Amino acid sequence: MKYRMVLACAVLVTSTAFAADHGPVFSYATPVNSQRELSFDTGIFGRYGSQGTQLSTGSGFGYGVTPHITVNALLPASFGSGNLPESRMMSGTEWSAGASWRFLHSVTSVGKRLESTASLGLVIPGPQQDSGVLSTLHRAPGIAGTLATGVASRSQYVWFGAGYTRFAEASSDRRPDTLSWSAVYGYRPPRLRRGYDQWDYRGFAELTGEHTGSVLSGGTILPNSSSTTLWLGPSVLAIFKNVAIEAGVQGPLFRDVSESVYGRERVRFAINLSYLKYSSHTSSH
Amino acid sequence: MKKVLAVSLLALSTIAARAEYEQVNMTVFGMDCAPCAHAIHVSMKGIQGVNTVDVDLNTGLVSIKLTPGNSAAMRQFNEAVEKNGFTHKDANVIVRGQLSGSVQAPFLEVTGTKDRYALTPLASGTDISGLLGKTVVVDGILPQSGKGKVSDTLRYKSVMEAR
Repeated sequence: MKYRMVLACAVLVTSTAFAADHGPVFSYATPVNSQRELSFDTGIFGRYGSQGTQLSTGSGFGYGVTPHITVNALLPASFGSGNLPESRMMSGTEWSAGASWRFLHSVTSVGKRLESTASLGLVIPGPQQDSGVLSTLHRAPGIAGTLATGVASRSQYVWFGAGYTRFAEASSDRRPDTLSWSAVYGYRPPRLRRGYDQWDYRGFAELTGEHTGSVLSGGTILPNSSSTTLWLGPSVLAIFKNVAIEAGVQGPLFRDVSESVYGRERVRFAINLSYLKYSSHTSSH
Repeated sequence: MKKVLAVSLLALSTIAARAEYEQVNMTVFGMDCAPCAHAIHVSMKGIQGVNTVDVDLNTGLVSIKLTPGNSAAMRQFNEAVEKNGFTHKDANVIVRGQLSGSVQAPFLEVTGTKDRYALTPLASGTDISGLLGKTVVVDGILPQSGKGKVSDTLRYKSVMEAR
């Protein structure tokens, strides 16, 4: 019953930073939906390592309650046999629901915004990995918070973000806490700063990092089950009016991971499709 | 015959008193990408009476042309910008309305809406005394207003009697 209530609250309250539509594909960013805007994202996220490939699909929904508050939900499905560390940067095996609040929004000139967004969400266990350390754990819901800040303009984008996820304990098992961070630089070349009725392209360099704590299994901490990784790679975002497609790939810059526990993760990749439904509703005078 | 004449005069006076925005060109800050412009386009088109909307991302200029007989209010244009998370700056408007008040303190009333502006000239030397009480077309600038508000002053470049 408690579990059902938590799930219901999650769907109602709603999420974590599922980066998409206006921003980078791997990293935290600040954009939120317009008021009454409905957004739908779906993508494939892959992690390739020495002990298999894990693919997950994530479908995210967002709704702009106000110009600066968006509620969202992410429904994942995972398949493949990757024995990989916990990750909150990559869409994985959690259902999540939350709210994002753009609490700082400073419009400084034509096309330029300085903004900061905080997100808080509930994370509910979804489909479980079918192999590896995490596949046998009893899982419980968690809570995830993220903070992102940065500048968007017609020519350049810079975002910094960080997130923390804490899971509850279930039957003396607990999934590792995750601390994630990201830095993104985006650029739109002058010849691509075109009218809005043409395809809008921009490229990003995405640096992401994660530290996952130790896994608790049967009341005992599994040795060498924590991990720290740093990833870097490019991504490209193309948008036409209200449809966006984005793809990116990352390789490891730094890894402090036990290969006997998790193997060696080599590549991360993502392809994401977005549809944005803007509201034409206006008040009468 | 008298009745026909009276009805005709009433109809003529109604046409003469028609008031509306004909064109609104507003500068919008904060739009960096195509979806931003598309969102503004969709929101503006949702306002009854809007005919065409053009958005220039590089200048931030949103150009709105309206159909004759519309009753769109300035607050609706501002709201369309605000709900998408952007900021509206000065707007250049061409608006038809009734000139009231006095030569020292003239007002423009856009009938059919609640919009009423105190008129101030952008440059000195414009004589509007002969237009008081008439329906006029004003080309002017509405200064930037705060969120949820509309400027109560219209700085006019020209005031002409409406045809």
